[in-house]
Amino acid sequence: MSDAVLQTHDLNKTYTVSAGLFKGKKFLKAVNGVNLVLEKGSVLGLVGESGCGKSTVAKLILRLEGVTSGRISFDGQDISATPRKEVARRIQPVFQDPYASLNPRKSISSIISLPLRVHRVGEPKSWHRKVEEIMDIVGLPPRFRHSYPNQLSGGQRQRVAVARALIMRPEIVICDEPTSALDVSVQSQILNLLMDLRKDFGLTYIVISHDLAVVEHLASRVAVMYLGRIVEEAPASDLFKCPRHPYTKALLASVLTPEPRKGLPETHLGIAYPNPIDPPAGCTFHPRCPKATELCQTTPPNPRSDAGRLVECHFPEQ
Amino acid sequence: MSMLLEVQGLHVEIPLAAGILKAVRNVSFSVVRGKTHALVGESGCGKSLTALAIMNLLPQSAIRCCERLSFNGQDLASTNERHMANIRGNKIAMIFQEPMTSLNPCYTIGNQMQEALLRHRRVTRKEALDRAVFLLEKVGITAAESRLKQYPHQLSGGLRQRVMIAMGLMCGPPLIIADEPTTALDVTIQAQILSLLKGLQQEFDMGMILITHDLGIVARVADRVSVMYCGQVVETGDVTQIFENPLHPYTQGLMDCIPIPGKTQPGEHLGSIPGIVPTPIGDMTGCTFRNRCPFVSKACAESGVALHEISAGRAYQCLLSPEVCAQNLRGSAAI
Repeated sequence: MSDAVLQTHDLNKTYTVSAGLFKGKKFLKAVNGVNLVLEKGSVLGLVGESGCGKSTVAKLILRLEGVTSGRISFDGQDISATPRKEVARRIQPVFQDPYASLNPRKSISSIISLPLRVHRVGEPKSWHRKVEEIMDIVGLPPRFRHSYPNQLSGGQRQRVAVARALIMRPEIVICDEPTSALDVSVQSQILNLLMDLRKDFGLTYIVISHDLAVVEHLASRVAVMYLGRIVEEAPASDLFKCPRHPYTKALLASVLTPEPRKGLPETHLGIAYPNPIDPPAGCTFHPRCPKATELCQTTPPNPRSDAGRLVECHFPEQ
Repeated sequence: MSMLLEVQGLHVEIPLAAGILKAVRNVSFSVVRGKTHALVGESGCGKSLTALAIMNLLPQSAIRCCERLSFNGQDLASTNERHMANIRGNKIAMIFQEPMTSLNPCYTIGNQMQEALLRHRRVTRKEALDRAVFLLEKVGITAAESRLKQYPHQLSGGLRQRVMIAMGLMCGPPLIIADEPTTALDVTIQAQILSLLKGLQQEFDMGMILITHDLGIVARVADRVSVMYCGQVVETGDVTQIFENPLHPYTQGLMDCIPIPGKTQPGEHLGSIPGIVPTPIGDMTGCTFRNRCPFVSKACAESGVALHEISAGRAYQCLLSPEVCAQNLRGSAAI
């Protein structure tokens, strides 16, 4: 795969957590050996339950957090050797909550132009024009230039966040739950916008979401994370058609589509998401897995890959 | 089928500096024992305020008026606060959204759970705690007795939501109001909590008002649905009618907006409703959806757009005839 823009090699992030006064430290492996390949122009979906480490992966790629071990290479170069500003120019985030990610005391034009000021791009006189241009692209009327975030609706705020991410014309945009704080009618507007922008600017996305319907709609490849590891990775259409890992299967089963005659699904997952400080031995999924055997309790499965799909399970579905 | 709750012509108005915010306008619906009535709509459409108005828990500045609000034959509209306090938690319980904020962090689970029972029934502390253990086990919490001594921060989100549900059931209420019961939870846990609620509802023959913005949840859980927009009910009917034959342009628009695995084509444009929800301040005549409606006409701005019934329990608020609406649906599906 020659056109990979971003690759992670055995990415690890471990946080130290206090176990209590005088009890020393414990380690929380938020990201545990993640290998990802992001091809140019593709959309990678990262899914999983809360606490599985998907947002941490995003933070590591954005260099908001330092890696514990492993390497992220961007265009063949190690990201930790590239100046941070340079990375920020080419990889930009769109965060989940547009109510929290915009500074309430700055005007919209000042929020959107911040990257230009930080990177000192061009003449300050041209910034104004650039802001108007990008506002037009994301569908914000120019009269909002002097408004403040509290005067905007949720969808408009998310458009501001998208505009701020795109003004430097980055190559990769990381969308961390881009629509989960929005209403349905607004969600579809933002999803349509994201798809249009990808086509127009040749962007590469990493979309993090717990909403599998959204991921299926946007993504070309999907990686399913569980307790800091990628348990299944495959092209989106294959993964949704025939999931091979039991966890992926359960995740797909629990999507509630608006079909009134179907009733509620039974996932057999049980409630307990394991404590990541003290993960289960063997395959970390075995306490919740309907197919678990003794082997699963003792030996962690090795990732197997074939036909562009990766699955980490002792007994994957065929 | 015995009528449990009947709401007719409910209005909630909140005086603001900019004028009177008509947050809920002329909302009517009824709940039957053992069935679920869903109120669905986007944020700010007045669905939570409707629930609070039923419980008489509105903010002080808000004004509630209604033609009829009866619960089990009792009139709740004119009842005094003292009587209402006897009903709240006892006859009508509420499961609030976000178990993170609605449990008191300073008290143990057991302490918070027994409160309602001690207030409403003549029971000892021991009996109340026994009931709490029984219900915690019912909602699938293991080691229930040790949980009673724990504080909310020691539990995960899913467990906290289960505690909220168990707490609502303490007095065995005939009616339960679930306000976004699963919004803060993961998809896998969401399905479990919903089946749990549904199972308990059947077991104790409770009526339920389910408030949510998630059409998937409504489709799988509700028996009857009222779609709310801008403080009004714009369409109401049985769940299959609403999802298989939506009539109001807003309902149709909402259905188009959601990506459905296996139905919508990945990567293709989703339907969307242009514009934003207007703020219902001041004089609101005509159809509130007209600024965003693809089938708008001149008559929509005039007064007289009212909810009209086309068959028993099926009503919608639009000037277009049901046949034209059904055609619009087919037309948009073809595009």
